[in-house]
Amino acid sequence: MGAAPALVIEDVAKRYDTPTGVLIALERISFDVTPGEFVCIIGPSGCGKSTLFNIVGGLDRDYEGRVTVDGESIRGPHPAIGMVFQEESTFPWRSVQDNVAFPLEVRGIPKKERLERARHFLALVGLSGFERHYPVQLSGGMRQRVAIARTLVSEPRLLLMDEPFGALDEQTRLLLGEAVLQIQRALAQTTLLITHSITEAVQLADRVVLMTYRPGRVKRIVRIDLPRPRTADIAGSAAFGRCVAEIWGDLREEASLGLRDDEARTREAGWRGRGERSEP
Amino acid sequence: MVAPRLTRRLTPALALQIATLLCLWALWEGAAQSGLVWRGAVPSSVAVLRALGAMLASRAFYRDLGVTLGEVAAAVAIGGASGLVAGLVLGINRFLGRAFEPYLHYLAPTPKIVFLPVIMLLVGVGAGSKVALGALSGFFPMALSVAVGVREVNPVLLRVGRSFNLGPAQMLGKIYLPALTPTIIVGLRLSLGLALVGCLLAELNLSNAGLGFLAMQAYNQLDIPTTYAVLLVIFALAALANAVLGRLAHRSPAGRVRR
Repeated sequence: MGAAPALVIEDVAKRYDTPTGVLIALERISFDVTPGEFVCIIGPSGCGKSTLFNIVGGLDRDYEGRVTVDGESIRGPHPAIGMVFQEESTFPWRSVQDNVAFPLEVRGIPKKERLERARHFLALVGLSGFERHYPVQLSGGMRQRVAIARTLVSEPRLLLMDEPFGALDEQTRLLLGEAVLQIQRALAQTTLLITHSITEAVQLADRVVLMTYRPGRVKRIVRIDLPRPRTADIAGSAAFGRCVAEIWGDLREEASLGLRDDEARTREAGWRGRGERSEP
Repeated sequence: MVAPRLTRRLTPALALQIATLLCLWALWEGAAQSGLVWRGAVPSSVAVLRALGAMLASRAFYRDLGVTLGEVAAAVAIGGASGLVAGLVLGINRFLGRAFEPYLHYLAPTPKIVFLPVIMLLVGVGAGSKVALGALSGFFPMALSVAVGVREVNPVLLRVGRSFNLGPAQMLGKIYLPALTPTIIVGLRLSLGLALVGCLLAELNLSNAGLGFLAMQAYNQLDIPTTYAVLLVIFALAALANAVLGRLAHRSPAGRVRR
């Protein structure tokens, strides 16, 4: 299309030194995201998706390779990148509007202006009228919407989300996915969303990056050519089913590898093994 | 927000509380009147109340009250503030925490009265050493509560702060401290209690003013009802302070902090 990519991930790799040798979490991850594009990353547990999330978001600076946003090479947290986490991340001691206004408060923007902008983004995520509520009074889905609004309020170049709907039920996921799509369209927001749900990836993405099980590599990038705008009903269409099947075909192999590896390690550790499993 | 109700319904639990108090009082009066126990040790409540009335009417009492309150306030401020700082440092910096937190754990249960001679040598025999002992006593519960509390701050909230590139002062002021507010209030209540004990102990040992001194003086003169009256006042003060802190904990946004 000619437009310079909003995000360039180039040869990103992550190694850990363990007592039993070098563990390669990510190996030669490279792909681009064009401005306004919605890209999903999908892979089995243990493929390094969250590691990649932390690297691109700047919470992990210890890696090889390069991450470039709008031509600027970055390493570390950057205002151009907004992160939405999987877990509950709203500040319980702040009201909804103070939560959303938080990034602006940190930047020193005066109260009147930041509350106005907070209200604008709250309206965008469909939470008008809840400004003075506290997160403990809202449902999990509403709290995630607050977290999304809080990240959007600083108008980041790239929106990075790590399984933001992981803790929610299927119906809420579909509806929130629809809401996220509407927002993304309205703002032309470049988005990178990590998920383990194939249906979610197909519903939301322009392209889906499939990752292999450890070491995490880009196995394939699938273009989703379903028409936009996409509503939650699209889950029933034949084209949708074909996309899901295509992705599952590749993913199944990686997921089985992961499962077998998992069981082998658990068996080796034995029932007298020390402590808990380190992964879910 | 619903305003807190000032009246309470007579729930079974409340009824039991009141009944227990009445029983205890009845037992006390019984023992006092029966002559089974020496009247000196267990005076009748009428005698205690009379002594209380006389005390509250005297000017000298309020001077002593003020002395003790001043000491406790200073002790809580110094012990609480230094405990807060120590707890934050040991909680946030894992290396220093591993190094020094064991000391906190071992020193905390040590009766601080053993330090009184040292304190007297360093600070003298005036109000300073009373405040010092109180502050020393109040330091540990706050430091320990906060050190442990820091570890229980939801790690996601810290990652949110880092993702917005907050500097250390902002992380502290906008994330750690608000998240720690319930912990700090708990620490403050414990500190208050122990600081009060510390100050009173010091007063018993080396003072000519304050409620502790007043209790000792009455005891030395075998004026047992007055001794009990002073104890009642001390108890009422402690209960009142705790009640106020408890209310604060409920009302503030801190009451909404959850894991």
